[in-house]
Amino acid sequence: MKTFALRLLILTLGAWTLAPGLAAAAADAESTAAPSASTSRFWTDHEGRKVDAMFRGVKDGNVFLQTADGYVHRIPLDRLSREDQAIARTMKPVGVGIPSDPNVAQAAMAIDRLVAAGLKKAGEEPNPLTSDEQFARRVYLDLAGRIPTRSETIRFLVDKSDTKRARLIDVLVSGEGINSRLFNYFADMLRMADDAQKSKFYQYEEWLKDQLAENRPWNEVVRDMISADGKLLKNGATGYLLRDKGMRLDNLSLTLSTFLGANVACAQCHDHPFADWTQHQFYEMAAFFGASDTYNRNAARNLLGSLRNDLPRQQYQRAKRILDVNAMFIRDTAANDLTLPNDYQYQDAKPGDMVAPKLIMWTGDDRRLQAYQEADNAMKRRDSDEPLRDIFANWMTSPDNPRFAMVIANRMWKLMFGAGVQEPVEDLDDPSAASNPELLFHLADEMRRLKFDLRGFLRVLCNTQTYQREAVTKEIQLGESIQFAGPLLRRMTAEQAWDSCVTLAVGEKVDAYKLRRAAAYTEAMNIDFGSSSPAQVKVALLERIGAGGKPAAKGKAKKKNKGKNKPNPEAASPAVAEMTEESDEAEAEYAKPEMFGSLVLARASELPQPERESHFLRMFGQSDRQIADSNSDEGSIPQVLMLMNGAAQKVLRDPRSVAMSTALAQEKTEARVQALYVSFLGRNPRPEEMTDATAALADGLSPEDLAWVLFNTREFVFVQ
Amino acid sequence: MNAFLRFDPVSRRDFAEKLAYTALGVTLLPHLARAAGKGAAVSPESPGFGKAKRVIWLQMMGGMSHIDTLDPKTGPSKGPGDAIQTKAGYQLGGYLPQLAKNHSDKLAIIRSMTSKTGVHSSGQYLMRTGYEPRGTIKHPNLGAWAQELLGQSSETLPSSVCVGRGAQHGNGFFPAGFSPLPIQDPDAGLQYAGFDTSSEVMEKRFALLNKVDGGFRGKFQDSNLKAYTEFYDNTLQLLSSEDLGAFKVSDEPSALRQRYGMNKFGQGCLLARRLVERDVRFVEVSYGSWDMHNDIDDAMEERGTVLDTALSALLTDLGERGLLESTLIVLCSEFGRGPQINSRNGRDHHPKVFSTLLAGGPAKGGTVYGASDKMGHSVADKQTTIQDFHSTVGHAMGMSVDEVVMSPSGRPFTVGDKGEPVFDVLA
Repeated sequence: MKTFALRLLILTLGAWTLAPGLAAAAADAESTAAPSASTSRFWTDHEGRKVDAMFRGVKDGNVFLQTADGYVHRIPLDRLSREDQAIARTMKPVGVGIPSDPNVAQAAMAIDRLVAAGLKKAGEEPNPLTSDEQFARRVYLDLAGRIPTRSETIRFLVDKSDTKRARLIDVLVSGEGINSRLFNYFADMLRMADDAQKSKFYQYEEWLKDQLAENRPWNEVVRDMISADGKLLKNGATGYLLRDKGMRLDNLSLTLSTFLGANVACAQCHDHPFADWTQHQFYEMAAFFGASDTYNRNAARNLLGSLRNDLPRQQYQRAKRILDVNAMFIRDTAANDLTLPNDYQYQDAKPGDMVAPKLIMWTGDDRRLQAYQEADNAMKRRDSDEPLRDIFANWMTSPDNPRFAMVIANRMWKLMFGAGVQEPVEDLDDPSAASNPELLFHLADEMRRLKFDLRGFLRVLCNTQTYQREAVTKEIQLGESIQFAGPLLRRMTAEQAWDSCVTLAVGEKVDAYKLRRAAAYTEAMNIDFGSSSPAQVKVALLERIGAGGKPAAKGKAKKKNKGKNKPNPEAASPAVAEMTEESDEAEAEYAKPEMFGSLVLARASELPQPERESHFLRMFGQSDRQIADSNSDEGSIPQVLMLMNGAAQKVLRDPRSVAMSTALAQEKTEARVQALYVSFLGRNPRPEEMTDATAALADGLSPEDLAWVLFNTREFVFVQ
Repeated sequence: MNAFLRFDPVSRRDFAEKLAYTALGVTLLPHLARAAGKGAAVSPESPGFGKAKRVIWLQMMGGMSHIDTLDPKTGPSKGPGDAIQTKAGYQLGGYLPQLAKNHSDKLAIIRSMTSKTGVHSSGQYLMRTGYEPRGTIKHPNLGAWAQELLGQSSETLPSSVCVGRGAQHGNGFFPAGFSPLPIQDPDAGLQYAGFDTSSEVMEKRFALLNKVDGGFRGKFQDSNLKAYTEFYDNTLQLLSSEDLGAFKVSDEPSALRQRYGMNKFGQGCLLARRLVERDVRFVEVSYGSWDMHNDIDDAMEERGTVLDTALSALLTDLGERGLLESTLIVLCSEFGRGPQINSRNGRDHHPKVFSTLLAGGPAKGGTVYGASDKMGHSVADKQTTIQDFHSTVGHAMGMSVDEVVMSPSGRPFTVGDKGEPVFDVLA
């Protein structure tokens, strides 16, 4: 049998060029494992040559065929045999449709193959592909972090092109919503809280938001966090270490489990019989932070001593708070002061011994990796002033660190599919125990290949057939090895649920409001110790607390702005409130959030971190940010009371909400029912549902009641 | 006040019962049958068995320093506060003056607790469930164990409530309905406990809800999805309770509220008292910020005072109401803090030895059980594991620590993970 000389047929426009070396792969299509039999067939061109390929659709006179190597080829329709042209015009394309980028399609297929192999091994079948309705709701929730608006759903459903799924994914990975979605995920992982260590962590939060908005490579973001220097007020990246000020062992324990999946929880205190790491190894790792000081109160202490007697108690407390905030900084000292604990009980060293820094290895071969070589070299020439911490940061975030890429890849997989390829995601010491080790290793390679581009990685995942299959319906036991016949059924995260409510209430303006607090806070609190004399510091401090100096400029500024409405719902302290009133520039950045009574209708990422305990977000499982990765998806009685009777349902039933007003604008009952179904569930009602709903509306229920009903369905809060 | 709460209690109850039936196809109180059949026999020989009809479990999150509270030391590990001599003969840390002065005869202190877990999350899990966390199973807390072994404690209120935290570390492998009802903020109590529309409309809403959602619920076998349906069911049951007011600490006289302390822990303890008074069997009050790595003197001054005030008020209040004899109060934390004051004037995590406290119920007041060494570093006498501690409380509640219960996945578990009850602290 002759095979297409595909190279000749391929158009070479934009992304649609044949990747180097793939022509041969295409020619080998017959010998490689074929795509699943139900979706692939032999296609014949007008010269009688054949290729085994999967039909992805027809667009603008081209047919899109995916060969066994995963690449999707664009071929002019008229090159096919007459018979196949006819088939191509009528055939239903494989559900995922025409990809927007052949390389992404190829990467997606590689993942699908590994999933298929895992399913086969377990004797399981993949689920059927989802409907467009399910796909749209799922992908909006997963990428934009909220349900689609009614018009977004309709726009997608009426689009008849074969390219629409890939295009929607592209729109969402480059949209605004994904920043919120990723921020919420990492804020839980990193225990991001407005209030910690008697300071506000606004700079840290906004720094992370900026990194995500710029889509900076993940390894660079993390490297910056670990190696950050200076003041929290000036450099948000320092927030990661300063969150655990004075607790470097705890911080390291979290660093190792969060970013490297190293299960060191026990090793902090003792060797554990079942974990790989010894206490001595833990301390060797801690030694990389042994010269980094996050606890700097001496400068402030001296000044405070002199103020204690001079100032009234309230002003003294304010002065103390300002100095505490200014003492939030990291600096590297010359000496590593890390010693073994007093109760060190093993033979290899004595309690109180100094510990030299040494990197952990997962296998003996790891030492040959570039990450280790570079760290070794850096340590040998350490007469330079490269801090030990930076050596650690470079090693940890290096593409060939044995775990760094794997951990974030597994976490991102979990974000899209509901469970990691290995669970828990904090423990990847033994990847061979993953539900599908080949898949796990491949995902790590993909993360490296994509250079830690998280959006690019999510784009690939969403383009897989595995992602676009129906959700798993069977019960999954805790600890069960999951083979991903499709994504798991998931309850919405607290943030997804809240952001979906906001979407229902304000529609497409959902991303308009951005909370920005850092600049004003820094302006209010920062005192420049470095270049100021103690006397100047004292003057600056007294000015801040309104106890001295001549705050003439301040008074003037205040007057100038008097009476202006300054939407700043989260003014942190009197000092911050004052400063925000002074700054015209800062004011321009504030867009006013939509309000409903006292409820701020903004995305979870633009609200206090975490929200107050009685807020929808917390009652729906938002982490209190004390313990990493502790968002909860469990129900409770107070939560159900809130869904039934709380503020959110009140907002959604209000005629001012976009979902409600759109429905009420319809005249016919059926049209109202349909509008509410599409708004809340992203689908049209089935005939029997229409009958039930219209009957109920004729029997005393209002459209507002139907909104309540749809909001309280399991279908609303679970993502299928 | 909304329409629902305006009904008199009887008609509200009727309504909710009817609603539960029409909306969910269930009759109320499906678990009551358990209570009748399964109550274990009280064994008179073993001290304290079953004498704790209710438990108030106070969990200090972050790692409460034993040396600065229940096990004060002299010498290099002494903290900034000076120990107080009590009438019962033992000493308490200087931050607990009211307990030392007024309640030392009621306290049974265990000073030989030990654990291997120096990490907050797994330490808290262990302290709440008596089991080390595993990726393959979720373990129940003692409230859920009691609901399984002893039945439901109240007709309409939940058997188990937790204050100041979410519902995690709760029902474990038992049904979702055994998970503690979480009250994050005791001042706010149980919010939204009434419908904002008429009962007719509510009934119709539920009828429609079950019709339109039936297909989705039937399609997925997911246990969390099923749990939600159970929570809706239980919520409607709760709304039929005549004791919903139990969740309102604001109904207490202001002088009494002040006595407990106007903070989350104080009000949480007061809420706990209101709940156990109305037959909620197990109430946990969690209180954070005990992770005193830095400046322990300031931090203990603040936290210690809150603890001292609330616990003293609780002991007095329960005593005055005649509830102290049947209510066991437990004070615990995931671990202690090290004997060494670090360079930041704080103390670091220390699971190797720490202290817990029992009071009321069958607790043998005025007792100190076990001891740490001179530094407060290691166990010197009568080592007690968290499993032993759980077995002790479980035993006091009337649960046999030998009774094996199989999880749905077919694995065997016991109250306290095969620990030994400490009979010496029970009477």
